[in-house]
Amino acid sequence: MDSQKNHFLADLFVTFTIAGIVVWYLIDAYTASSHIINLILILPISLMVLTLCVIEIFRQISGKHKAIEKPEPVASVIPVISLFTIYIASLPWLGFDVGTSLFIAAFLWIHGERRIIWVLGYAIAFGFLVALFFSAMLPYPMPMLILPG
Amino acid sequence: MLDFIALQAGFDLLFSDASTWLVVIPGILIGMLFGAVPGLQISMAMAIFLPMTLYMDFVQAMLFLTAIFTGGSFGGGIPAILMNIPGTSSSIATAFDGYPMARKGQHNLALGIALGASTLSVIFGYFILLFLVKPISELVLKMGPAEMSIIVIWGITLIASLSGEYVIKGMIAGFFGLLLGTVGYGEAGVTRGTLGTSYLLDGIPAIPAMMGMFAASELFRLVDTQYLVDDSAARRVSINKIFSGFKSVVRYPWVMLRGSIIGVAVGAVPGVGSSIANLLSYIQTKRNDPDPDSFGKGNPTGVMASEAANSSSEAGSMATLLALGIPGGGATAVMLAAFSMHNITGGPQFIREQTDIVYAIIFANFGQAFLLIILGLMFIPVLANVVKVPMHFLIPSVLALATFGSFGLTGNLSGPITVLIFALIGWVFKRYNFSVATAVIGILLGAMAEESLIYSYQISGGQWSYLLERPFAILMLVMLIFSLFGGRLVTLLTNKVKTNV
Repeated sequence: MDSQKNHFLADLFVTFTIAGIVVWYLIDAYTASSHIINLILILPISLMVLTLCVIEIFRQISGKHKAIEKPEPVASVIPVISLFTIYIASLPWLGFDVGTSLFIAAFLWIHGERRIIWVLGYAIAFGFLVALFFSAMLPYPMPMLILPG
Repeated sequence: MLDFIALQAGFDLLFSDASTWLVVIPGILIGMLFGAVPGLQISMAMAIFLPMTLYMDFVQAMLFLTAIFTGGSFGGGIPAILMNIPGTSSSIATAFDGYPMARKGQHNLALGIALGASTLSVIFGYFILLFLVKPISELVLKMGPAEMSIIVIWGITLIASLSGEYVIKGMIAGFFGLLLGTVGYGEAGVTRGTLGTSYLLDGIPAIPAMMGMFAASELFRLVDTQYLVDDSAARRVSINKIFSGFKSVVRYPWVMLRGSIIGVAVGAVPGVGSSIANLLSYIQTKRNDPDPDSFGKGNPTGVMASEAANSSSEAGSMATLLALGIPGGGATAVMLAAFSMHNITGGPQFIREQTDIVYAIIFANFGQAFLLIILGLMFIPVLANVVKVPMHFLIPSVLALATFGSFGLTGNLSGPITVLIFALIGWVFKRYNFSVATAVIGILLGAMAEESLIYSYQISGGQWSYLLERPFAILMLVMLIFSLFGGRLVTLLTNKVKTNV
């Protein structure tokens, strides 16, 4: 029952957040320029989203929502999101070659893969081969630590 | 309608020298590869290989580039089915039912259907082009900014209506996406919503956002799963099932016909093209199906409808290019570059004076469709093995691939950062039933919707009566209103008639 309540509150929070972002964006756009050209789409669409958010919030509060199916536990998703965030943040320093290899190796290790040959072999092979392929294909330099960018 | 002398000359151009066809197989393979790797676009493949066409004659160059286009249109559906990553924006609707089919162990069938629908609709699309290239181009000229604005709003509301019992949330997501699509430097010469970062001056990179919302967010949800397909017996790659999926498309001629006509018609509209065509075809198929609730849960006709439309839209965009010299999207823009490299200008004069070349291009595409069948049936069994890869290997590999691809699209780290941010947004949206697909369409079309509205405003001088001078716009507006409320109106009227009787 608690998880249902938490989900309901989180659902409300998401709707409020969307409405909040829309209000902020509308103010930001209006501050930048109140000319009709600038607001011709932003103003009506923002008002539409806000109206829909109000309807949705009333719908949720009045209980017109179905019991939710059990979603995946947040606890198992957080490590993946954190690791992916670290990977993206480290790209300027570690480059795509080493960064990708480390990301894959860390992911495999966290998810129970203990065969060192597989962890290192797959991570290094995948990271370096894909980095090599993309650096050959793309017309601009890629951040790399070992391979030529 | 057909110029038989030019037709004969077109045949001669194609078949007098076998070397003309040598470039087709590499072209299809390059297209399939670039379509199947998320982040690599068909237009990117064509741009990379464009310099090679300098050493070819014009017909051979067009064969090579259209082969990449044809291969790429099908290739984009492969990751959409196997990983829920639409390889291109034209494969979004393929993922709606293709991915659930793959998760149920019907990956062989889904891939076969995608191949069958793609090849048959390419043939059908070019067949329409053969007879109707001029009328199509005249129709395209009637599409002004007012009509484009209506198309965008129509697209968003239609796709939101797919959200079942969460229609309001679907519309919130769609219109929120539209707003996100306007972030950056606007037509009024000011920046909106950039948070002071220069990365957002050109707006939110739409394709990396799509990759994050569709793929990365889905991978987060699958983190506790062992394999993409739970049942080990269902993971088997079966050429028989692929072939049976391929053959099954002929059992749904109306789905194919409707998808192909929508594909050609919408594909011909510059700027809209296949990104909208696949969604419109999907929506219409769902509406006409006796069991619309099965869509989104692995209904094979959903895959068929989407693939039929995105592949035939190639013919539509070629109609605009050949008859008007206007490229409908990135891929045809590269073709236009090939035109100028060979000192050829597309347009009414080109169609009139070089009809043999136009016919040669059309007939070459019939041939390409048959080659795509052979190459597709050879390569799908290899690609379908993705379902046998354990998820703890697949998840980081696909996340990394999306990161590489997004960097490839933006040329800087704004691509990977966008993937990350929109992966989080997509995960939250999916968790709380806000339609991810509608939000993505909104992001893709936001800038275009704003631009069309501004042009309409400037042309009309702010007068609503301008709309009355645009019968095509009125027709589309009526269709939009009917598609939203028509069903309810018909039910209401039917009930009233029944009561009176």
